[in-house]
Amino acid sequence: MSASHYVDVARSFQARGDVPAWLQAFREEGLSQFQARGLPTSKDEEWKYTPVATLSSHPFQPVRDVSAGEDVAQAVARLALPGPRLVFVDGRFVPALSVLTGLPRGVVLKPLSQALREDGALLQETLGQFSRPSAHAFTSLNAALLEEGALLTLAPRALSEVPVQLLFLARGGDGPVLASPRIVVVAGEGSEATLVETYAGLGTGATFTNAVTEVSLGDNASLRHFKLQAEGDTALHLGGLYSRQGRDSRFQSHAFSFGGALARNEVHAAFAGEGGECVLNGLFVGRGTQHLDNRTDLDHAVPHCSSRELYKGVLDDRSRGTFHGKILVREDAQKTDASQTSRNLLLSEGAQVDARPQLEIFADDVKCAHGTAVGRLDDNALFYLRSRGISKVDAERMLTQAFASELVRAVPEGPVRARVEALLAEKLPGSAEVMG
Amino acid sequence: MASLLSIQDLHARVAGKDILKGINLEVGAGEVHAIMGPNGSGKSTLAGVLAGRETYEVTKGSVLFDGKDLLGTPPEERAKAGVFLGFQYPVEIPGVGNLHFLRTALNAQRRAKGEEELDAMDFLQMAKEKAKLVQLDAAFMNRSVNEGFSGGEKKRNEIFQMAVLQPRLALLDETDSGLDIDALRIVAGGVNALRAKDRAMVVITHYQRLLDYIVPDRVHVMSAGRIVRSGGRELALELEEKGYGWIGGEGGAAGKAKEARP
Repeated sequence: MSASHYVDVARSFQARGDVPAWLQAFREEGLSQFQARGLPTSKDEEWKYTPVATLSSHPFQPVRDVSAGEDVAQAVARLALPGPRLVFVDGRFVPALSVLTGLPRGVVLKPLSQALREDGALLQETLGQFSRPSAHAFTSLNAALLEEGALLTLAPRALSEVPVQLLFLARGGDGPVLASPRIVVVAGEGSEATLVETYAGLGTGATFTNAVTEVSLGDNASLRHFKLQAEGDTALHLGGLYSRQGRDSRFQSHAFSFGGALARNEVHAAFAGEGGECVLNGLFVGRGTQHLDNRTDLDHAVPHCSSRELYKGVLDDRSRGTFHGKILVREDAQKTDASQTSRNLLLSEGAQVDARPQLEIFADDVKCAHGTAVGRLDDNALFYLRSRGISKVDAERMLTQAFASELVRAVPEGPVRARVEALLAEKLPGSAEVMG
Repeated sequence: MASLLSIQDLHARVAGKDILKGINLEVGAGEVHAIMGPNGSGKSTLAGVLAGRETYEVTKGSVLFDGKDLLGTPPEERAKAGVFLGFQYPVEIPGVGNLHFLRTALNAQRRAKGEEELDAMDFLQMAKEKAKLVQLDAAFMNRSVNEGFSGGEKKRNEIFQMAVLQPRLALLDETDSGLDIDALRIVAGGVNALRAKDRAMVVITHYQRLLDYIVPDRVHVMSAGRIVRSGGRELALELEEKGYGWIGGEGGAAGKAKEARP
């Protein structure tokens, strides 16, 4: 299997036709970019630690139709938050399980397939605008197969206090399934919302989710973005989040990466106006032979912006994780205030982490701090807990939980945090009773 | 009556160095024993070995607790059997709430005894009551374990935990060290309140001062990994007069120098 498989898949997908010319052109451009780049190899600096062969281990293909049976309904009941939501199975929209009521005035949420018909003008000027400059093979492949996903638009000063949820279930069909959701968020001036993307697995079919999210924040707008990735242990997951912030806007990304045989979470955030604030938080928890990549790329292009970045990894068994965080402070970006922290906890001898901060600073009046740490559970703390009667496995769980709790507590109290806590509880070793 | 704790010819090493070189000690239920001695004499090692610290290697000897072998079991099993170690240096554990930690511990012990677990409400009620014993403010229960506690608060937290867990054998490792007199009175008062006829206590201390507040049944003096003298309370008074200098051997002179500090 190689790039040619995906090229064939994209060609036959594009041959279905019957779409507006601009969309066909967008897909074709994606395909030609993908062809030009080819699949990443381990020689690419960006993919050095990633087992890239996994990405073409099966002949993944998009599916045309899905049936949403009892398994899907149960998963939705387990994972959905109160409030509006769109549900997708293997990349296809499932209207019957989606909820489009309860959206506040000025907030529009619709599946991308519908938006492609109704909002062509908006999408033409938005799609690929931020992801293109730093596009890589899989962002291009997502463009080549663009068809479904979601569009969330916020009118100026629109306020959505209830989180908007997108639930992507990877089930796998008769053969290996490729889902390529594209999520577009256009937040008008002074608007405010919370978006939750949840990715989960159903069953054991071979699945590959290749998601791209693009966020455009108007002046003084605010978006809290949560990504809860808890796909099955055999799933492949690549996700790229691209944001561009207007003046005085606030953007928070909280990425929880728990599932997948190979999961890569990328965040590319850029300041386009002064006075912006950006928070990039991430927690990845691996076990077995999971490989969890995290890549962040922060572009301080303009003055007076601040960014706070905290990524933590917890790796057990023979799992492997990476954190590669780049901060670029351009020459004009005076008074930048940036900090980046990567802390990692290894729970077994066989677990590994590669943490690599990369700061490129071209302005001279800035505050930039970064720190990286890799450690193990504190023996003294373990003994202290055990000396009170707490079993070794529960003590380890409590300490691991405590390590991760900083990122859980960064989620505002409410249903989103409760969901994160529940997913984390399933993931950590030991009994659920010791969760605090 | 058989001893609750029976230590026979106990030898142990830490990081390849022999620290305990033949300890013999019998402690009966209801008794309070004080172990004194200069720095480096092995007092804390003895406490750690009894509680099951895994970095300590027992090379010879036996320890029976309530007639059963103690050394072969992990620390949590010893705790469930009723052994409690009050730490010389209580550990700060950011992110783990005091209340949650202690309830988890108590319920693990209750499960082991076949008793019903306490729910959060009942536990809180009980914990608040016990906290009064060492004058700990209820607000501390919502903080992380020992995080940001003063030295005195940490030691009071140890006694508070003992009060909640109700052990049969309490090993208090230098619980008095570093306390000013008010804190010492509170800690000693907590310990005295927990004296009981079915509970034994081994109070390890460097300073005679503690024994003004906790009156032991027996006093033992350790030096260079052995108990070199045992006696009644009068032995403590003798130590106060003479310091550790008369013991001789390793650590003796250093102990005296330390003792002489204001």
